[in-house]
Amino acid sequence: MLACVTEMVIDIQALTKRYPREVTALDGLTVTFVPGITGLIGANGAGKSTLIKILLGLVPPTSGRANVLGHDTATSGDWIRGHTGYMPEHDCLPPDVSGTEFVTHLGRMSGLPRTAARERAAESLRHVGLYEERYRLIGGYSTGMKQRVKLAQALVGDPRLLLLDEPTTGLDPGGRTAMLDLIARIGGEFGISIVISSHLLGEVERICDHLVALEAGALLRADTISSFTSTQRVLAVEVDEGLPELAAELTRRGASCEPDGRVLLVQLAGEATYDLIRDTVADLGLPLNRLEQRRRQVAELFADQPELEATR
Amino acid sequence: MTTGVIHDLGYQHYDGPRLGRPAIVRALAWHSLRSAFGLGRGARAKIVPVLTFVVMCLPAVVNAVSTVHGGHRLFPYDTYVFRLRALVMIIFVAAQAPELVSRDLRSHVLPLYLSRPLRRLDYPLAKLVAFTAACLLMIEIPLLLLYLGTIVNAGGWSAIWAQTRALFPGLLIGALWAVLLAAIGLAIASCTGRRAYATGAIAIYFFLTWTLASILRGVAGGPSGPAGAPPGVPHVVPVAVPLAARLAGLISPPTVLEGVRQWLGGTSVSPVPPPGSVGVIYGVMLLALLAASLGWLAVRYLRAGLS
Repeated sequence: MLACVTEMVIDIQALTKRYPREVTALDGLTVTFVPGITGLIGANGAGKSTLIKILLGLVPPTSGRANVLGHDTATSGDWIRGHTGYMPEHDCLPPDVSGTEFVTHLGRMSGLPRTAARERAAESLRHVGLYEERYRLIGGYSTGMKQRVKLAQALVGDPRLLLLDEPTTGLDPGGRTAMLDLIARIGGEFGISIVISSHLLGEVERICDHLVALEAGALLRADTISSFTSTQRVLAVEVDEGLPELAAELTRRGASCEPDGRVLLVQLAGEATYDLIRDTVADLGLPLNRLEQRRRQVAELFADQPELEATR
Repeated sequence: MTTGVIHDLGYQHYDGPRLGRPAIVRALAWHSLRSAFGLGRGARAKIVPVLTFVVMCLPAVVNAVSTVHGGHRLFPYDTYVFRLRALVMIIFVAAQAPELVSRDLRSHVLPLYLSRPLRRLDYPLAKLVAFTAACLLMIEIPLLLLYLGTIVNAGGWSAIWAQTRALFPGLLIGALWAVLLAAIGLAIASCTGRRAYATGAIAIYFFLTWTLASILRGVAGGPSGPAGAPPGVPHVVPVAVPLAARLAGLISPPTVLEGVRQWLGGTSVSPVPPPGSVGVIYGVMLLALLAASLGWLAVRYLRAGLS
């Protein structure tokens, strides 16, 4: 029983948040987060930021309950914030102080004594990959370096849980990969549980162990990453002509597909799907332009959901 | 530490002490007090605080030089700020209050404070304590210099005792100045993240209301002339000052403080006529200005969110 309790990093029961003017941000959400890296996926307005605010004990839920690290958000907000690191999505760094000074100050604000704050600041900046640059003013940093400072300030208090809000915002592809690798390392080697909120499923799925998908303030799905993405992988097939015929033939042969503009999206069931498409295209004698695997964005995933419900 | 080799020890968890909320608020207040004087910032951040502090102290230094040459104390303690240095204090508040709050608004640092053990009102509380302390230092240190420069050449314990008794009301009025100026300055600065706007708004508020108070007083038949008339100019207060002139000072913080000083029994001459029977209204006005500033600060930071 005890083991069962410690297995939960975040436990949310029937959580509802209504703002004035009948805006419902969270609607009876029940979900648990286990240790490891969890992606919190949802379109803008799905309730991700409201959930983070409630988890940090900053806004009270209208009804329901949320436990973080075994503490109730309604009564132990101070404790939770002392043991949780938060990285905001938006820019939050003053330009006219150095990385070291800034992170040291925020270490003190996390409750570290003066000397410990200085040591932890140096250490967390080193862990995120800022070395000599940390003595320079933040105003001169690149976007990637700024994101690292934001991560370092979340890490400085040695949290047991990290809440990262869209940590790859504003980064170029290389920067995104580096940031995600860094987060994966923190989650793996440092043994800190991490929640990454994102509106891009393809973005975070690579490093997540679990996914929690929200839609309109309610749970869309919560599962391990493998079961989550397997049904979401599709093949995009582009032919110069004969798209309807191809769709009809593929459906007849047992594949699940739907047209999406000039391409046909085919559910990827396994390696056999590639063969099936190849054979079907060949049998129909169609000019095949492109065949590629697609990672669906969450927005698409949500748009498809009612149809999936209907066909079930 | 003697070897030049850096070993990557991997991630180390922290198992030392964690301070509670009160200690964190104290740390934030200390950090803010330092930044009010530009400490821990670049050299440019120190120009205004250092210059204004020196100018605040100048009359006290002149007094010390004068007493060495056998003169008496040149300036009263309780009107030191109002008659000599109100302008300098307003410049200090206008320049440095934004340093404490507008800066954090501009760079959106607030979410980082909110996501830590601090509660919503801890942040404005720490800022208020820090800036009040900064204003106290700006005002009381010159008064103490004035006192020291005087008693060194006072000659005799009774003279020193007389100076000490005169000093205390001065320190009290100085404290009222510090509390009110800090609260108003932070309240206005918390409205905008743009330092220049905040500085302008604070300066305009103080100067505009002060000028207005002075004009109203003149129109109403009170003693005319700029409120900050140069020291040493004998000022003859008319025997009967019209009620309207006695109420005119209510619209401006410096003249409210001056009215309160006279209501509390301060006797030093002043361009602001003694409020007499309406003195208590000045006391109420002081509290109202303070309450409005603190109330706004509380509302402002209760409303703050993560984004």
